[in-house]
Amino acid sequence: MNRQTPNQRPAWLTPALLILPAFVVVFAIAAYSAFSLVQLSAVKLTFGEPFRLAEPVGLDNYIWLLTNEHSTFWATVRVTITYLFGTLIPELLLGFMIALLLNRKMRGNSLFTAALVIPIVLMPSMVGLIGRLYFSYDGLVNYFFDALTGIRHNWYGKDLALLAVILVDVWEWTPFFILILLAGLQTLPVEPFEAARVDGASRWQSFRLLTLPMMLPLILTTFILRFMDVLRLFDVIFVMFAGGPGTTTTTLPLYVYRTTLVQRDVGRGSAASVMLIIIIVALTVLLIKLRERIKFEA
Amino acid sequence: MRRNWRSLTGSRILDLLTVFVVFAFLFPYLFMVSSAFKTRLETFAYPPIFLGFTPTLEHFENIFSDMNILFYMKNSAIIASCSTLLTILIAIPATYAFARYRFRNKEGIAYGFLFLQMVPGISIVFALFFIARSLGLMDTHLFLIVVYLLWNVPYAIWMMRGFVEGIPVELEESAMVDGASRFKAFRLITLPLMAGGVAATAILIFIGVWNEFSLAFFLTSTNARTMPTTIAFFMTHSGIKWGPMFATATVGTLPVVVFALLVRRYFISALTFGAVKG
Repeated sequence: MNRQTPNQRPAWLTPALLILPAFVVVFAIAAYSAFSLVQLSAVKLTFGEPFRLAEPVGLDNYIWLLTNEHSTFWATVRVTITYLFGTLIPELLLGFMIALLLNRKMRGNSLFTAALVIPIVLMPSMVGLIGRLYFSYDGLVNYFFDALTGIRHNWYGKDLALLAVILVDVWEWTPFFILILLAGLQTLPVEPFEAARVDGASRWQSFRLLTLPMMLPLILTTFILRFMDVLRLFDVIFVMFAGGPGTTTTTLPLYVYRTTLVQRDVGRGSAASVMLIIIIVALTVLLIKLRERIKFEA
Repeated sequence: MRRNWRSLTGSRILDLLTVFVVFAFLFPYLFMVSSAFKTRLETFAYPPIFLGFTPTLEHFENIFSDMNILFYMKNSAIIASCSTLLTILIAIPATYAFARYRFRNKEGIAYGFLFLQMVPGISIVFALFFIARSLGLMDTHLFLIVVYLLWNVPYAIWMMRGFVEGIPVELEESAMVDGASRFKAFRLITLPLMAGGVAATAILIFIGVWNEFSLAFFLTSTNARTMPTTIAFFMTHSGIKWGPMFATATVGTLPVVVFALLVRRYFISALTFGAVKG
């Protein structure tokens, strides 16, 4: 029996009304862009031409990208995977080690964390441009290489360009892992560590058996957040090398740009965009699921 | 005794290592700022000049008088502040609903917002390009202000939800027992208590829009062009104009660095969508 006095509003109405403006704005923009993106991905159109000249081609753009021998889509996927793990693994390991280093009582700690905020908030386009100068033959990076090993490298070349953009990202975003993991370390409970010390556990044992398992959910959270970000990163690589030389630094977002604006193929570029969105959402859902499972086991 | 001495030197070494590591992360930024004060020859000197140069202000004069950098800063400021303000106004009621009410599919809807936030700017920028052209909104402040809401509103909801949930609901309830309406209880009790969190969220959104490149680069040309996209001006056929570029980078990142240091307390929540408290 659902008896309500006429002037009593149903319980869901208030929250629904409160969410409505946000819902309408966000979903309207998303739906409009998604609609025109999918529409563009199903036509043949040269960038710069008006839309009325577009020729419908169905799923041809997708099929071409995935199966044609001239398509560099899969090469791009390989570059993207290298870039993902090349940035995330060093950032996570370095970040965790430095967080442990900072997690000691010493003067100036708050000053240090303040300094580590800076690389994260710099304008990415400017970071890309300074990256370009620092990695030039007479640049800062070669200067330190020269001083340490006596060799200067050509970072603009096919062999090292990807490593150069990876190193820029490692500089910019290792502080992200440091700051979050440090905050996590500082909120760990003290008692288990004291008990372990009383029981005669070594430092390494208490790290491996206490710190690491207790930090695992947070490590995964930071990893997922960065994963999403690295997968969609465009600006730094675009400004530094624009995906070149050749396709050596063409990650998926760069591929979208190059297909649409350099090759001026709007249809294929849009199809690649759709696939990029699907990949990001699918992988993130997967990672979130994985994290939930680990949380329950821990 | 001996052991003590050893652990003392051990911790000294670790202290030194900490200082070194932090300095290494700061160094590229410091070198960028110092390069803004160098002449062209000094910028390209090999080995690089770290301290031994006479500072010059010529690049700063150049960007303010010849390149009219203030115009682009103004565009960035307009777009960033309008988009931030709109975001906060739209997101506060939604945040309150997620934090204080129970309704069906609540977490599902919250994740729906989060997934839309994940869409890469570059993947829809060309679709937006066609939309802007058909609406006649190409190269306008308005278009960017509205488009940024797609990312900012979900971010604000996720970020502020934690702040509201951290305020005891009993405070509002006792005000309502005393006869206040729910809205009045929110306005007089909860809103002032969440003000710090709202301010931090606003500042972080402002920083995000101020720095944003992909959309601004392809959706503006002259009228609404923003700071980060001025890099195109430094890449000329005769090479990159490094001096003005370093000066612009220094000027453009200064407000962001100051703002970020102001809200440092909230920075951890900011980076994790409110999932982790600092």
